[in-house]
Amino acid sequence: MKLWNYIVGYLVIKVDGLSLEKFINLTISNGIFLWGIKRSGYTTMTACISISGFKKLKGIARKVRCRVRIVDKRGLPFLLVRLRHRKMLLVGLTAFLIILYVLSSFIWIVDVEGNVKVPEDKLLNALAKYGIRPGAFKKGLDISAIENRLVIDMPDIWWVSIQLKGTRAIVKVVEAAQPPPMVDKDTPCNIVASKDGIIHEMVVLEGQPMVKEGDTVKKGQLLVSGVVEDPETLATRFVHAMAQITARTWYEGEAVCSLDEGLTRRTGRKVVHKFIDMGRWVVEYQKGDIPFKYYEVEEKKVPFFGEGRFFPVTMIVREYYEVEKLSASASLQDLKEIAQKKAMEDVNKKIPSNAKIVDKRVKYDMIEGKEIKATVYVEVLENIAQEQKITVE
Amino acid sequence: MRKRKLNEVKTAVSEMFELPKDIMLNLPRISMIGNNQMLVENHRGVIEYTPQKIRLNSTIGVIRVEGQDMDLKNIAAEDIMITGVIKLVEF
Repeated sequence: MKLWNYIVGYLVIKVDGLSLEKFINLTISNGIFLWGIKRSGYTTMTACISISGFKKLKGIARKVRCRVRIVDKRGLPFLLVRLRHRKMLLVGLTAFLIILYVLSSFIWIVDVEGNVKVPEDKLLNALAKYGIRPGAFKKGLDISAIENRLVIDMPDIWWVSIQLKGTRAIVKVVEAAQPPPMVDKDTPCNIVASKDGIIHEMVVLEGQPMVKEGDTVKKGQLLVSGVVEDPETLATRFVHAMAQITARTWYEGEAVCSLDEGLTRRTGRKVVHKFIDMGRWVVEYQKGDIPFKYYEVEEKKVPFFGEGRFFPVTMIVREYYEVEKLSASASLQDLKEIAQKKAMEDVNKKIPSNAKIVDKRVKYDMIEGKEIKATVYVEVLENIAQEQKITVE
Repeated sequence: MRKRKLNEVKTAVSEMFELPKDIMLNLPRISMIGNNQMLVENHRGVIEYTPQKIRLNSTIGVIRVEGQDMDLKNIAAEDIMITGVIKLVEF
């Protein structure tokens, strides 16, 4: 109802008179619709009325001796009348709509999802060859044909789906699964230890186990033999030994922290500066003074349209963190923590990714009262089985 | 006398057939939402309107509504909608 009133247009009128109730009753009985009636004083009130209703109002107003004035004209028809004198605005509006429509019929962003091994560049190039690239016209693209062609062209892709959502082309890819490497069962081989350790668990699939769980083994020691002797016939057989041998192994990492270097700690206060980098121009749109004596700076770059996309617009966020300097004695505990963290980073580099950490110990040493050395011992469970070919004489 | 008898018959009929009484007996139908909206259907005109006090005519007599900042949101031949803080409704 409200929307309809807006479309056909309505008037806000002010009625002055002594018998306002009579005025209301008379308008109703004449079939004129009134709404939003507000009495602002003893003799005045405002109300809303349709344009056609207002034309019939004159006789009524005379009858009850009220004065009716128009306060405001609202609605689309009045807006259009006002717009008639501003032709360029209308031209601009239509131009805007046309440009919006034209621009929305192009592809501006190509997103590739699901690729792990196949590089994105290669996929984007292949897509561009068939017309899916930023700036391409959307109409006339035969999506299903392109999907089929891509699958035929790229043998390491099994399935492609291309979706056009607005100005974005979403390309979903399923890569071809590589078959697992074949185990060459014909070459006989042993399993030896790749590291020193204590054996935690043994799963022998093929071969003669030479050690048992709980044994300490050295690097290179024979764990599972590929030479199997039948206990009854005493015949020797060469097999390709296969086993999974989990052992406890140890890693060690160390780091040194000097007491002299002033230790700092972030206080939690920060100031953020933001820039918009448009290649040639850099616009600062948020900048303030840095009220800190000591601070650290962190810079982050957030591209607006994704990395290396159509428009080279990047937002640079620079965060200034306030820090306070700590005295050497107060910071001993902090120094230990930092040294330990560094040592852990050091040891984490050495531990293979599939190992499971079981235990961790840290030792601190003072070196000549100037430095703190943290040593971290980490105990992990990892597979130490390593194949070694048997050379048969 | 005759009118009263007619009304009695109408009441009996509407009770018997479970018909809505507002239509049969030409009564005003009043519905309120909380204390800030009141719709009176089948009224007979506005007697008095100020933001604090509204009096409406109806077939059962004058309906008096008191409150604060009351507006007549909609007025048509049959129904009237009052918005504002309604404090009192009296018949």
